[in-house]
Amino acid sequence: MAKRTARFYAAMFVGKLAYATQRLLGMNATFFPGKLALQICPDFMGQVGRPKNLIGVTGTNGKTTVSNLLVDLLEAEGIRTTNNRKGSNTKAGVACAFLVNATLGGRSKTEWGVIEVDERSSMHIYPFIKPDYVVCTNLFRDSIIRNAHAEYIAGIISAYMQPETKLILNADDLISSGVAPDNPRVYYSISRLPTDTKTCQNIINDCQICPKCAAKLDYDYVRYHQIGKAHCPNCGFASPVPDYEAEVDFKERRMVLTERGDAQVYSLISDSIFNVYNQVAVTTLLREMGMSPDELRDGFSKLHIVDTRYNKTTVNGIDVIDHMAKEHNPVACSVVFDYLSKEPGTKEILFLLDDEKVLENMTWMYDCDYEKLNSPLVKRIVIPGNRAKDQKLRLMMAGIPEEKIVIGMTDEEAPDYLGLDGTEKVFVLHQCYKPDLSHKLHQKIEELIRRRGA
Amino acid sequence: MSLTMSDVKEKKDVVVETLFPEIANLYGDHANIRYLKLCMPDARYVEDTLSVEPYFAEQTPDMIYMGPMTERGQELVIEKLKPYRARIEEMIRENVLFLITGNAIEVFWDAIENEDGSRIEGLGLFHYTAKRDMFHRYNSAVMGRFENMTLVGFKSQFTLSYGDNHTEFLYEVTKGDGLNRESRYEGVRRNRFLGTYTIGPILILNPDFALYIQKQLGAAEPHLVYESAMRDAYEERVKQYESTEFVLL
Repeated sequence: MAKRTARFYAAMFVGKLAYATQRLLGMNATFFPGKLALQICPDFMGQVGRPKNLIGVTGTNGKTTVSNLLVDLLEAEGIRTTNNRKGSNTKAGVACAFLVNATLGGRSKTEWGVIEVDERSSMHIYPFIKPDYVVCTNLFRDSIIRNAHAEYIAGIISAYMQPETKLILNADDLISSGVAPDNPRVYYSISRLPTDTKTCQNIINDCQICPKCAAKLDYDYVRYHQIGKAHCPNCGFASPVPDYEAEVDFKERRMVLTERGDAQVYSLISDSIFNVYNQVAVTTLLREMGMSPDELRDGFSKLHIVDTRYNKTTVNGIDVIDHMAKEHNPVACSVVFDYLSKEPGTKEILFLLDDEKVLENMTWMYDCDYEKLNSPLVKRIVIPGNRAKDQKLRLMMAGIPEEKIVIGMTDEEAPDYLGLDGTEKVFVLHQCYKPDLSHKLHQKIEELIRRRGA
Repeated sequence: MSLTMSDVKEKKDVVVETLFPEIANLYGDHANIRYLKLCMPDARYVEDTLSVEPYFAEQTPDMIYMGPMTERGQELVIEKLKPYRARIEEMIRENVLFLITGNAIEVFWDAIENEDGSRIEGLGLFHYTAKRDMFHRYNSAVMGRFENMTLVGFKSQFTLSYGDNHTEFLYEVTKGDGLNRESRYEGVRRNRFLGTYTIGPILILNPDFALYIQKQLGAAEPHLVYESAMRDAYEERVKQYESTEFVLL
């Protein structure tokens, strides 16, 4: 830790004052106090006291869930953490978490810290807070304008990872498993599933060539996108051998996690493969940090994934489901479309994946598996907003009949265009920054169902 | 140079060659060929991976397509294509149709220059230099005039290119930037080599350009699958762009 300067103490004082003021005003106070502290003392994060056990969590998808699981498990054991679960995962949000959880003198009030880190912000965070462990869940294509491509993000993480940080990596992802190759590392994996295939069933797979010699990789199996197990027939490069390997039994809702020859059984906290990956990542990390299998089993039995991205109510037998779909993130949206397509029952979808800026890049739609929505069970798709015509065209390119797609209304009018005749489920797919709109439309749909007596 | 239908020989066996789709597939650009397949299902679509000899080495395709890729991908592609430099030059001279999008065009430049001044020598077929700035991504929408049509699209790149393309640009921008912030001229056009930094499914975003490409390929009946929805989306975008002040994203 760098020597504390007068600027640091000034930043701490002003930041805490801002925090107290914002809280008094009923605000979240999870960003601005940190921003202010960094403006006063740019090296604030280098000088503030860090928890003795500090964990970073990063990756394109799953980092929020992994961070939340870690905080919940630790807090269930009575361990208080410095964390940014309610705030931003960029520089100011992280600085704010440290500021709030430190004394005026700068000493950390907690022994443990769990910090979610936006991949693109690695350079502003890792060199200052120097985590003991970093979990990297996966790296996929994300926002084109911000993240460019997964290889670029892997390069940023590698460049700014501190050499002493131990990495917890997903062996099934050949992109994220290769970050910071000189760092100490532990790999986790989920062994072959009956649903795995020999070839990729998604539009994009960003790891088709060998990272060493560029020959075409031979996949032993593909789970989704580049997730799977591969080897290079030319140079012998292969997916890393996992230190922790989970054999998952979805029917029995359990997994057998073999860690260096020792098998332990854990109950699954979710039946989605994406959350099983998150649970395996959490288990691997906490086992590495010394938590016993019994403590983990006990912890998992007490918690469930609180998914703020998913909200379901049932009115007159119709499920109304809000589901976040991260716009501009083709893999995250593909995952949601896939989930939705596999849900039983007839359904209608209200698409709120819009861009308020008309100049916004929409090319991600063509990296995303809209084809998953091409199902007889999807009866109607209602799309308001600026991008409605682009969305309609993309859906038609995916083979969805034009008569199922309704456009040309405002967000608020959109529920009125749902048929609700024989529909069993209504999905409201909303983007990250529109939970309020989604909530409002959710309520309107409930009212419509009641009024129409559907 | 502008060609009309009468300049193009009507062919039955149209061959469209995609270069290195395993890596040159970023930003939705792969949808260009997927769309072409819908409109011209009888054409033959050849995909060359990095590990095989390109089809064009021994045969002459009707069209060569290559989309954007990672920076490492650019270096692999340059190395792969270097032995074929003279053949590519010959195909450009002989009016083979090329559609090259995003940073794939930099492969054909003199060089790509890194922030530290180090250079990756390109194929040297076009005398431009791309300058990388990996910490500042250039993001913008773009609109311009090509032949008698308005093209719209997006740019998202770590590079800007320098060199005088005023005699061989693909289109003159009416909003947004050309090769760099000072340029009004976007991309390159030499004979039927069409190269542009514009990314994404350019054929889907621009219905008349999709028809133009089909005509260049000698399609007996150029047509647009999902034409009505395509034109609706296109006209909406043109209208929005015309009434919006362009800023970098």
